[in-house]
Amino acid sequence: MTRRHRAGRSHPEPATTNATADSKSALPLFELRQVSHRFGHHLVLDRLNLQIYPGERVAIVGASGAGKSTLLRLLNGTLTPSEGDVWALGQNLGRLSGARLRRVQRQIGTIYQQFHLVDSLAVIHNVNAGQLGRWPIWRAVLSLLVPQQVETAAQALQRVGIPEKLYARTDQLSGGQQQRVAIARVLVQDPLVILADEPVASLDPERSHEVMALLCELVQEGGKTLVVTLHLEELARRYCDRIVGLKAGRIHFDGPADTITPEQMANLYRGQE
Amino acid sequence: MALDGRAEIPRPAFWTPQRRWLLAASGAVLLSLLGTGLFRQALFNPGGIPQLWSFLQASLQPDLSPEFLQLTGRATLTTLAYACCGTLLSVLAGLVGGVLTAEVWWQSVWPRQQTKVHVLINGTRALLVIPRAIHELIWGLFFVNIFGLDPLVAILGIAIPYGAIVAKVFAEIIDETPRQPLQALLNSGVLPLAAFCYTLLPQAFLDLLSYTFYRFECSIRSATVLGIIGAGGLGYEILLSLQSLRYSQLWTLFYALFLLNGLVDAMSALLRHRLGSPTRLDLNLKRRSTQAPISSISPTSTSVVPSIVPATRESVSLWSWLQRWLWRHSLRLAQLGLLVLIPFSFWYVQADFSKLVAPRTVRLLGEVARAALPPRLNGSPDQLVTLSLQTLAMSILAIAIAGLGGMLLSFPAAHNFFLPGGILSGPREPQMRRVAAWLGFGLTRNVLLICRAIPAPIWALVALFVLFPGILPGAIALGIHNLGILGRLMAEVTENLDRRPLLALKAQGSPGVLIWLYGVLPLTLTRFLAYSLYRWEVCMRETVIVGLVGAGGLGRLLTEQLSSFDYAGVLVTLGCLMLLTLGVDGISRRARQALR
Repeated sequence: MTRRHRAGRSHPEPATTNATADSKSALPLFELRQVSHRFGHHLVLDRLNLQIYPGERVAIVGASGAGKSTLLRLLNGTLTPSEGDVWALGQNLGRLSGARLRRVQRQIGTIYQQFHLVDSLAVIHNVNAGQLGRWPIWRAVLSLLVPQQVETAAQALQRVGIPEKLYARTDQLSGGQQQRVAIARVLVQDPLVILADEPVASLDPERSHEVMALLCELVQEGGKTLVVTLHLEELARRYCDRIVGLKAGRIHFDGPADTITPEQMANLYRGQE
Repeated sequence: MALDGRAEIPRPAFWTPQRRWLLAASGAVLLSLLGTGLFRQALFNPGGIPQLWSFLQASLQPDLSPEFLQLTGRATLTTLAYACCGTLLSVLAGLVGGVLTAEVWWQSVWPRQQTKVHVLINGTRALLVIPRAIHELIWGLFFVNIFGLDPLVAILGIAIPYGAIVAKVFAEIIDETPRQPLQALLNSGVLPLAAFCYTLLPQAFLDLLSYTFYRFECSIRSATVLGIIGAGGLGYEILLSLQSLRYSQLWTLFYALFLLNGLVDAMSALLRHRLGSPTRLDLNLKRRSTQAPISSISPTSTSVVPSIVPATRESVSLWSWLQRWLWRHSLRLAQLGLLVLIPFSFWYVQADFSKLVAPRTVRLLGEVARAALPPRLNGSPDQLVTLSLQTLAMSILAIAIAGLGGMLLSFPAAHNFFLPGGILSGPREPQMRRVAAWLGFGLTRNVLLICRAIPAPIWALVALFVLFPGILPGAIALGIHNLGILGRLMAEVTENLDRRPLLALKAQGSPGVLIWLYGVLPLTLTRFLAYSLYRWEVCMRETVIVGLVGAGGLGRLLTEQLSSFDYAGVLVTLGCLMLLTLGVDGISRRARQALR
């Protein structure tokens, strides 16, 4: 019913930015209901309830092993929870399969710590991979021989600051440059929401700030939503407006960034029972 | 997104070196096809179709009489024993040869004499080219002339060329092993041999061992082929049954061959996984530093022994228990197996090793040497050129069939591709799709096994049912046999893919075909092509063995010369083959460099 109205739309109208205040009244973009997840006998997420609204910039923080990456994989539909339901853009991801799942996934862009690019392809093809959800197959095949929509890819690379690398081979780029290629891919995909799994954990502090600033700019310009897992408190406070603390698979705290106290943060990493 | 001031980046030229090589390769295949006379003369012999049909029909009625089963069992053991003895000897020879041809060995012995080291290495490596370029079968035919029909023929036929191949690969492995620990010992005055035993050899041990297992797989196939020239075992029995048109017996032997090959391949794959270097050909490909670490292998994540049936709960748990048990105890079992198998093999084949140094052997070898020198050709040089070109065409067609077919079949044969939980399967596939995926998986795996288990000469004889003799049946036979080998190696590449880029493509909602096109193919294609180019050299050597059954080329000439004791002519033909092999090796190396 009303939940469904977002799903399947290929081009979102620019949502209002800085919408934290009034967006609470809107429908959530993501909703987790009593979600648990196990790997074998190991309980990674324990009965989570979480709602994420359009326009928010949410940091998910916690010690390693707290379940941050698993949470993101549940949100982008590459993992199905052991129990509970994950709703994304008004659809229950656990009920979808094949083409219908892919249609929702096209509105969710993901950025990874290890970039997850295809090393042996030229940068342009990795960036164009963001088009694969839209392109017909003949065009995708043709593009590997004669690159298609070069202008779009070039613009995206220009935006992330490495326009000169358009035709370079991806494995010849530095870590920071590869992460920029991954961001350019998401730019070309043009999703409603960007998930970022430890996007800066492989980068030095300087590069980390550049990449985080870039991500936030892109999200704000395009009126998108950002969900990012981080392990540095400083980055979370500086670039996000809401912080969710995960501890041993449960939500330890959840609130606007400026209301989270240093004690709460410290607690997160202390005394794993 | 503002674009102001952005300089236009020139698009790279369309004709990259890779694309030029592709064009050249297509041209070569086309020329070879023309060389078979494809569009000029009748190639197909429809008269043979009934015979082919009765041959195929017999697959459902193998001869299962107790006497014949006994014979099959004995033949299987003989082939296994040949392979075992041959592998052991070749690994021993290869270990010595490998150390002696390793750059690092001579650098440790004479650290200050660079030029001397270079001369020595190039010299020893050049010496090893000769035994390597001559196929097992030619060695076998030669030894038959010396020793008569003795098991020694099969064992030496495997040990000599394999020893040279193992030496080359071992030298590469040793040279690629980190040298700091060795340097530390050498700098403190330890003798080179002792230093090797304490550093490089233990460091490289797992790689050496897993290559040895791979060699054993190849030995089984070579032992079968050697049987065909009369050394006994499965190959011999197969040829007898085929020639006397007893197809039901033939199929009993085939099934034994599938079983033997399947078991040995599966054991070897399990052990190689356990040792952590699943694709041995990677050794030759210069590990790239950017390559992601192979995902940790455990029996739960990647089932090395794939279960064919999506079974009920109880049998699944039993199966997974068995898998875990095998996984945990595989190395112990392998040790035990080797301790039993090696003495048993030597006892079973009853080879007369005293013949090696018997006066008669020495005398015969002397006679061969006198007869062979100086090399002389009975016949026109034109014929030699024609036959060389035919051989080249045959090898090109064979590798084209093997490479393309292997690539196509390797994807359904990889256990992480279409199967549930694989790269291209969704989270909730309907039951029908899952069953189809399992069926396809089992079917392609078995097709690959059948292709590689049946020796190329036997495939050639089958092809001759419906094709007129010429290079086409030879190329098809070689192509089918090598397809089985390449397909399996390529499936292993897919199984060891870094999955993360593929999951990233999946997470953004790309359809399966495009995940394959933008993720799987770019990550695998260069390696597939490199494997095929390596295999081209092998195909070149193997043209000889299909020549044996009348498929043409230099092989046929060579077998004629050998059986008429024309050793002077043999040397000339071998020289031609050697040149061709070197040429193929050179081209393949340059192509691989361009692909990297």
